[in-house]
Amino acid sequence: MAENKLKLGIPKGSLQEYTLKIFKSAGFDINVPERGYFLTIDDPEIECFLLRPQEIPRYIEKGKLDLGISGDDWILESKAKVIEVCDLKYAKQEIKKVKWVLAVPKDSKIKSVKDLKGKTISTELVNTVKDYLRKNQVKARVEFSWGASEVKPPLFADAIIDNTETGVSLKAHNLKILDTILESSTKLITNKSAWQDKWKREKIKDLALLLQGAVKGEEVVNLMMHIPGEKLNRILKVLPKLKSPTIKKLAGENWYDVEISCKEKDTRELIPKLKRMGAQGIVEWPLIKLVP
Amino acid sequence: MKKINKIKFGFPWEYLREGAIELFKKAGYEVDVDEHSYRIEIDDPEIECVTSKVEELAPLVEKGVIDVGITEKVFVLDNKAKVIELVNLEYGYKTWKRSKIVLAVPENSRIKSVRDLNGKRIVTWVPRIAKDYFKKHGVNTEVEFTNLPAEPKCPSLCDAIIEFVNTGASLRKFHLKILDILLETSPWLIANENSLKDKWKRKKIEDLAILLKGARLAQEYAGLILHASNEMMEEVLKVLPALKKPTVTPLRGENWFDVLTVANKKEIRKIIPRLKKIGCTDIVEFPLNKVVI
Repeated sequence: MAENKLKLGIPKGSLQEYTLKIFKSAGFDINVPERGYFLTIDDPEIECFLLRPQEIPRYIEKGKLDLGISGDDWILESKAKVIEVCDLKYAKQEIKKVKWVLAVPKDSKIKSVKDLKGKTISTELVNTVKDYLRKNQVKARVEFSWGASEVKPPLFADAIIDNTETGVSLKAHNLKILDTILESSTKLITNKSAWQDKWKREKIKDLALLLQGAVKGEEVVNLMMHIPGEKLNRILKVLPKLKSPTIKKLAGENWYDVEISCKEKDTRELIPKLKRMGAQGIVEWPLIKLVP
Repeated sequence: MKKINKIKFGFPWEYLREGAIELFKKAGYEVDVDEHSYRIEIDDPEIECVTSKVEELAPLVEKGVIDVGITEKVFVLDNKAKVIELVNLEYGYKTWKRSKIVLAVPENSRIKSVRDLNGKRIVTWVPRIAKDYFKKHGVNTEVEFTNLPAEPKCPSLCDAIIEFVNTGASLRKFHLKILDILLETSPWLIANENSLKDKWKRKKIEDLAILLKGARLAQEYAGLILHASNEMMEEVLKVLPALKKPTVTPLRGENWFDVLTVANKKEIRKIIPRLKKIGCTDIVEFPLNKVVI
């Protein structure tokens, strides 16, 4: 009996924790053993593999995997022919946005990408950087770096193109940022043959719906509050328009119960404002999934 | 050049740190901690985070170096710092409880009360409070400061200690007993007096206080949803707590209602079995982020 199964690649490293979290919110428990890479998932129709995000696009292109999660950076770098099913951009990534930047020593004579002519650049993203240089019509030597690129300038390279979240490590190595070449988001990707298989396509679409719902749920919260009748109209005006509020009159009283959804980040301004305007008993709770 | 209005927030390092981060996250902030460089960053350009030792924070707030911060009440007292106490956040290390500052001696000690401490050596983290305490009791002692737990030093280096007690486990481990309770302490949100006179800073600080207090309260509460029939309603409403008026919605085409409310988690332990006995069905409890009464 032919058993339908989807082969899924989970990225090891910096995307791992987030990936497992959104799968959990989507309703899937993935167990990662302390040592070893054989993951188990509580869905008999999915088989999971823990792989470096650099390699996942390539394995998907080759059809070794049907589906996987990786960053724009590695999808671009691998030049793999994959299909983007959806974006899984994490809302709470304001501080830790993944950016690839061109950096040089603080006292370097290199002031812009044009000054890189004839220089050596060390990076993990060789293909992407070559494209970037071509676009800027600059000829330079691009060397592959296995990592820890920050230590290389000025002795081993004139410049680096490296990923940074907060920029702290670059500063610590006396480097300054000249340009941002790429901002990377997280993507769910598949290949043509899986996308053409009816069963796999349905399964992937369902999974994408749940994962996107989980990402959205992370970002949005529900608020419930009591509002006195005479203040209702004024307060309704300041409420966010994400979804129309549910308004109920409390039995036998001139008070209303109002329920809304709003972005978690907006509650920082909204809740103190509502309290000042006379709303009472404001309660906020998190959502697991939000499917519009 | 455009000046960005900013407040400086004093984040306690050490044992109060994790609890403070948890509250900021629930308040709606993204928090990034760099262990090695003692740096905390949040996604609000109007709040600059500064980290400090818990016991050094109150004097910094008094001086106005920091506008607002979280510290343990006892260190405000020990530093005799003139600051404005805004919110009692009442979270403790691991157990989320307030702690006590106690005078403790070895279990087999001959010291039976404060009066027996004349001429003795005391080790403590809060020397000024200790000195005031002994002065009040008219006892002459030698008070020594330590910024490490005092329990292991007694009796080898001193006759008594004045220490934090949370669960009492540490005292038991070192065979110490409590002679007297000096005061109760918990983490407080404190602010500089002048910062609160600045209109912009005052609003920013007050908003933050509402959010942190709401996040703290939400740790004690949970949401509750249940179905009850018309006949059960009177009894159900009696069982439900009064913090928030329950929201009652009739279920389509039936004699049943959907009831939503908020209750203290410890009360919920008692409420759920009672609701079940009344005949309520589909009881669901869910976690909260913030509760602002």
